Amino acid sequence: MTSSGFPGCQSAPAVPAHMAKSMSLLWGAGSPPCWRVMITLEEKRLQGYKRKLLSFQKGEHKSQEVLEVNPRGQLPAFRHGDVVVNESTAACLYLENRFQSQGNRLIPDSPAEQALVFQRMMEGLTLTDRLNSVIYYDLLVPEEERHDSALKRSKETLSTELQLWEGYLQNVAAGSYLAGPFSLADVVVYPNVAFAFRFGLSAGRFPKLAKYYSLLKERPSIKASWPPQWMSSRQGYDVLKDL
Amino acid sequence: MAAKSMTLLWGSGSCPCWRAMIALEEKNLQGYNHKLLSFDKMEHKSQQVLDINPRGQLPTFKHGDTLVNESYAICLYLESHFKSQGNQLIPDGPEEQALMYQRMFEGLTFYEKLGSVIYYDWYVPEGERHDSALKRNKDGLVVELGLWEGYLSKQGSGSFLAGKSFSLADVVVFPTVAFLFRFGLSAGRYPKLEEYYALLKDRPSIKASWPPHWLEGPEEELLLKDI
Repeated sequence: MTSSGFPGCQSAPAVPAHMAKSMSLLWGAGSPPCWRVMITLEEKRLQGYKRKLLSFQKGEHKSQEVLEVNPRGQLPAFRHGDVVVNESTAACLYLENRFQSQGNRLIPDSPAEQALVFQRMMEGLTLTDRLNSVIYYDLLVPEEERHDSALKRSKETLSTELQLWEGYLQNVAAGSYLAGPFSLADVVVYPNVAFAFRFGLSAGRFPKLAKYYSLLKERPSIKASWPPQWMSSRQGYDVLKDL
Repeated sequence: MAAKSMTLLWGSGSCPCWRAMIALEEKNLQGYNHKLLSFDKMEHKSQQVLDINPRGQLPTFKHGDTLVNESYAICLYLESHFKSQGNQLIPDGPEEQALMYQRMFEGLTFYEKLGSVIYYDWYVPEGERHDSALKRNKDGLVVELGLWEGYLSKQGSGSFLAGKSFSLADVVVFPTVAFLFRFGLSAGRYPKLEEYYALLKDRPSIKASWPPHWLEGPEEELLLKDI
């Protein structure tokens, strides 16, 4: 891939090709954490990084290749030359700090504006947990330990959580996202929002989240890194439709 | 003075609150206003908290007109705003920085694994509890402890989590380590973690922010003594 701009991107000096070539990402499709790193790499004009798509279903995230980079056997596993950065938010922070002056700024200059970016970013990890506890309930909890009451409570917690985000996005518009201009907060949170709609969240009941979802769907970095299987399959899952 | 325009609402015996307090001390921001609230009396759900943090969670932090909730966000904000005062908490070198960020976020997993054991009864209503679940959580914590023992071995004695300097990784992870020992982690089974604990427990920022009720009251139930 070349580093010339996608439609809609202002043209910026191309990053020396070798910079991205010394980067590699092991990733899995449909994983919000992997998606975050890919969005960041696009935003920082680091297209051209090496990447390898692995299959969670086949257990490839536990393969030797992954364990050598990430002893936790988790994806994303990211490498920049000799530097390894696992944990998606860590990789995003590393990339933004290392390549601050190229591509799009993902952390604003003023500490007061940074405060909101950092806060929404961290709240985004709570959103991830609450989504996972519903969408992956059966994967996380062995059959003999499952309770309808537990799943019900997780759904209620998730519903409250989503309503918080609906409130945070009251004034969402082009260029006005979670903390003003597109930022690391959106990098971390957007994949979760896309994930939620993939699993049946009602746009009618969450109109601001739906607007956020559709506004950013067209952003070049997001379009370029959209999970492949979501592009080709219909929305199949409806576990969130009643929230 | 900057600290005078800061207010922290906190609770004793909370890792997230402790992280924020260590960061404030490290950045020489002693003198900040603070209010100790009681989780037992549900004061974290009181109006004064909800006005700053609709989640009804502690810590909540205000610096002038700037609100910052989420302990990691407070730490990142303070380091950014006060980079040139107190101790530098984010290293300059790319390798150390990358390691620091990674350990910080692994620290969230570490805290969750700890909580899944010591807070099991708090999180799970009686009718939904299973011995098999608690056992699985304990096994998960043991695996996690093995990872951190490994990380500390690799760093070498006297080192911090991300290298030769104390960093944000230590700010956010040390409280979890302190909790392990508070809840009875056995001496001798995790020597590197013990060494790390001993290295840091008398660090001024940590000593100054040590949970007050740990100094006075009886110990907790030693939920971790067998792991």
